[in-house]
Amino acid sequence: MYDTILIPTDGSDVAENAIDHAIDLAEQYDATLHALYVVDTAAIDIGLGTEQVQRITEGKFSEMSELKARATEATNVVAERAGDDLEVVQSIEAGQPHTVISQYADDNDVDLVVMGSAGRGGVRRAILGSVAERTLRTTRSPVLVVDVREDDD
Amino acid sequence: MIEPVLLESTTGLFDGGFKLIPALTLAAMLALFLGVGWFFRVASVDDMWVAGRSIGSIENGMAIAANWMSVAAYLGVASTVAFLGYFGLAYVVGWTTGYFILLIFLAAQFRRFGKYTAPDFVGDRYYSDLGRAIAATTTLLIAFVYIIAQGNGLGLMAQYIFGVSYEVGVVLLMTITIGYVALSGMLGATKNMTFQYIILISAFLLGLYATGWTQGWSTVLPFIEYGSQSTEIATEIDRQFTEPFQDATYYHWVALCVSLIAGTCGLPHVLVRFYTADNERNARWGTVWGLVFTLLLFLGTTAYAAYGTLLYQENVGEYTEMTGTEADTLVVLTAHLAELPDWLVGIVAAGAVAAGLATTAGLFISASSAAAHDIYTNLYKEDASQREQMIVGRLTILGLGAVVTYLALNPPALIAEVVGMSFALAGTVLFPVFFLGLWWEDATREGAIAGMFVGLFFGFGSIVNEILPQYVSAISGDAIVPAFATVVPATSSSLVGVPAVMLTIIVVSMFTEDPPEDVKRLVRQCHSPKPMKKMDSAEDVATDGATPADD
Repeated sequence: MYDTILIPTDGSDVAENAIDHAIDLAEQYDATLHALYVVDTAAIDIGLGTEQVQRITEGKFSEMSELKARATEATNVVAERAGDDLEVVQSIEAGQPHTVISQYADDNDVDLVVMGSAGRGGVRRAILGSVAERTLRTTRSPVLVVDVREDDD
Repeated sequence: MIEPVLLESTTGLFDGGFKLIPALTLAAMLALFLGVGWFFRVASVDDMWVAGRSIGSIENGMAIAANWMSVAAYLGVASTVAFLGYFGLAYVVGWTTGYFILLIFLAAQFRRFGKYTAPDFVGDRYYSDLGRAIAATTTLLIAFVYIIAQGNGLGLMAQYIFGVSYEVGVVLLMTITIGYVALSGMLGATKNMTFQYIILISAFLLGLYATGWTQGWSTVLPFIEYGSQSTEIATEIDRQFTEPFQDATYYHWVALCVSLIAGTCGLPHVLVRFYTADNERNARWGTVWGLVFTLLLFLGTTAYAAYGTLLYQENVGEYTEMTGTEADTLVVLTAHLAELPDWLVGIVAAGAVAAGLATTAGLFISASSAAAHDIYTNLYKEDASQREQMIVGRLTILGLGAVVTYLALNPPALIAEVVGMSFALAGTVLFPVFFLGLWWEDATREGAIAGMFVGLFFGFGSIVNEILPQYVSAISGDAIVPAFATVVPATSSSLVGVPAVMLTIIVVSMFTEDPPEDVKRLVRQCHSPKPMKKMDSAEDVATDGATPADD
């Protein structure tokens, strides 16, 4: 059923909360796990400078060692938790997160996307949006959303 | 020197009410910027690992010019030349000479350093978080002062185009700009900046050529054809127009000129472009083209000033009694007084808005990256996620935007003067640490920090000294300490400031422990005469253990 499982991560607690779910499913189905870090170009634009977006689109991401290290660190967490028994493919791509996730899923015949969500509601959702929600609307693959909030609220 | 600006005008420029065609021109221009941005937005990157086509040096030069030329260059310089005659030339000379220092000493060297933000350089080169914090704070201060002047210019243009009050105009156009940047960054960056440059220069030259043509003053090269007009002003109207040092002293002229030169080399939002130039050659040629594209406008500003003054004298009254607002709108006023049709005057005004928009966007982004990358992530929360950084950046833009919009309602000085202050701040605080940081490997952390504090004392202290009395009525007079204002004027603090800061850095560095060896290697690599491979950064070469090129 699930031969290829994609877990997008940005290294945050919210994203890493979903890793165990993905690993458990991958073990059940003996699936290949893809850990994907998306360099968010909109965040780079505001948080680092527009010129840096240009640099990425020109194919010079290798120069940007700090960003590369941060991305690799995030995908390494998935590989470490998965252990030696599972095959883990680590990828780094750039663009709008939900667009890239959905495109990656298509390109790699992903059967299931497992991702975390902060579970924001109301005004905060309107302002910040939710990558999980946008991904749901963009991709045709099945998506498992793991909410970071505990049940006791 | 700094006089409060009275928002009044008797020229009838603002009496036309709402102007349909100029309003549509402006709306179309804004829609074009947004459309280009939307079209070129980065939804996904095909190959971020293999270098592909990059921005050429001409396009880079246009982007530098668009980022660098603001409402101050577009409206402000002609205004000061008309208002203060020969003294205004200090702006033209200073702002263009700065490019040479940039070209020779900083552009290619910054390319070799190749990091992200301007405070990154201070933080890494001087191995100091405190240094990074001071540089980031200064970046915020520069953006803060600089944007006030942009808000002033945008407000005046909205007042002309929409026939609204000045205050409504400021709020209207600033809200559009802040929304544009906070929501979507600079939208398709270089492409958009190239467009903004082409629009602003076409609008500017269209007004100049049309005025010269219809008045029978100039034909194909108004840049050098206004001689008889300025002679006429000097001989028949007012000798001061071409008489040097009538309106300000020789000292003040030189101080202003030096400050603008140093400031051009210290502006964070311009310098970051060099980090990302394809290679050193591109960084250098980008600077040269930037200067060429800037000159197209600057050589025209003096012609505008001569034409505008003459038209003012003929149609309105004694040009020496021109108000600050009239001077600040002189470029548009010239086209208006030459009785050019409304749609053409509208295009000239829209060009000023394009100039303001491009620079304001660049400044907001330099402020948001200083807050999100340098302060929040590097100093406060090491593992901040991308989304957190984006939120910090957006909040910075909104917060800063609200404050500058409020202050632009009651601008403290002429547009070019306010921008001059932010240049002086950049020149006094940042230029010395950049310059010595790239060229003298023994400059130490302690030296840089002490130097920047001295720089803030002169650069920011002089601004507070002259501006505060305008806002706090308890302080009487033009300045808190008038003697300080005479020697270190707010628009021109670098003449005293730069040597003082450099001396501080050198003396303190000599008495403190040398920088670590890897930093010294990095500095040597940054200014080494030996060409580096295209993709290498100085840090790679320095840390790969390879012998630095000039050892």
